[in-house]
Amino acid sequence: MSLIERLSLAALALPGLLVGGEAQAGRAEELYHADFQYAHYEESKGRMKVDVFELSAVAPIGDKITASVDLVRDTISGASPILNIKNSDGKVEQYLSGASIFEQRDALAVGLSYAFDDVNVSFGGGVSGEHDYLSRHLNTGASWTFNKKLTTLSFTASVAFDEITPTGQSDVKNSKTSQKYLMGITQVINKNSLLQSNMTFAYHKGYLSDPYKAVYVEGVGLEDDSRPRHKFQWAWLTRYVHYFKTLNKAALHADYRLYVDDWGINGHTLELSWHQPIADDWLIIPRFRYYTQNEANFYQATFDAMDIGDIHSSDYRLTGFGTLGVGLKLTKSFHMAGYIKEVKLQMAADYNDRKASYQIGGNDEGSFDDFSFYMITASINMRF
Amino acid sequence: MKKIILTALVLFLTACSPVKPWERGNLALPQMALEGDAQEANFRQHTFFSKESSSGGYGGHGGGCGCN
Repeated sequence: MSLIERLSLAALALPGLLVGGEAQAGRAEELYHADFQYAHYEESKGRMKVDVFELSAVAPIGDKITASVDLVRDTISGASPILNIKNSDGKVEQYLSGASIFEQRDALAVGLSYAFDDVNVSFGGGVSGEHDYLSRHLNTGASWTFNKKLTTLSFTASVAFDEITPTGQSDVKNSKTSQKYLMGITQVINKNSLLQSNMTFAYHKGYLSDPYKAVYVEGVGLEDDSRPRHKFQWAWLTRYVHYFKTLNKAALHADYRLYVDDWGINGHTLELSWHQPIADDWLIIPRFRYYTQNEANFYQATFDAMDIGDIHSSDYRLTGFGTLGVGLKLTKSFHMAGYIKEVKLQMAADYNDRKASYQIGGNDEGSFDDFSFYMITASINMRF
Repeated sequence: MKKIILTALVLFLTACSPVKPWERGNLALPQMALEGDAQEANFRQHTFFSKESSSGGYGGHGGGCGCN
């Protein structure tokens, strides 16, 4: 198949292809996919390092069914914050675990989708295991393309069952259940732009505390991290893509997400990326990300005996902060006539700076838990 | 409420200029794909999910982890 024919087929498949990687209604995936990715994540101050290996495959079965499998191995090492203490000058300092953590996570996910004329349905499930954590999940989804294939509505539902057996407490088994529902619309606005808007509702119930974190109570000592036993989350993501023919066929991607939960946290995420084609199937993608959140209503850096309630946490992820991120991605595609139709190589590097002072609306918590991290990814994608 | 949402949806859909199948070449280019690299998108969302309180909006699997 020529490049033009493949592009035309992809064009006819729009916009169903755009929703969560699901196959287009009325047409299952036609090519086999095999993708491998290596990713590295590393934090400043000698904290966490993570190496991720991921292998994914997609296979068409007949002309209606698409099967997929995804394998991930994370190896995690380094130090993690446990609590904050007040030093003799009354200043808050973060206390880390020491660089003793070593963890491996293995995850498997499988999926099947079936393409009707205008509707695509999918089912999937997976398991993720660490020595102290086991998560199993099931998901299902449907997407419906209509309005002369200019509009796609999609719904997904998933449920996860997690079990936590903290290291050194083999007699303790904590569990939680999570339900997530997503509904979204993808709309072709004109021949140069499209918009997607998704809402997610999530409800978690059970043990939502962190068994490896503690809080410091002045004059008393340490207490376990203790969070509510339920959490409701709402997220609204809107994504816009615009094509600029005169700028060598470049594309602007702009994403904004509003997040609200009933622990008192509101978050805003803005992502911008510019996808610039350069010669010979090279694509260069500079990108920018800004994130801000306010603190949970039971968060304090440290507590007094007078103000600590049953629910309390000093987890650095529940405080107010902002993160600024910049990154660069390069991709190169090779189109071939043989058994392998396409090979795509991708490489990216991102740097993120997380600071209390980057929070919208200001933050007087101080800089004791500021840190930065970088991410590197390299992948090869094959279509045959 | 239902009527308002339906009216808004109809207005929104009709406001979009009709795009014929043969006019969709630009939208099919790889640089226009909303999710051009599913593995990288999953890795990035997984990382931000384990370092920030916000999550959701994007697709992806539903499983949890003990990430800290």
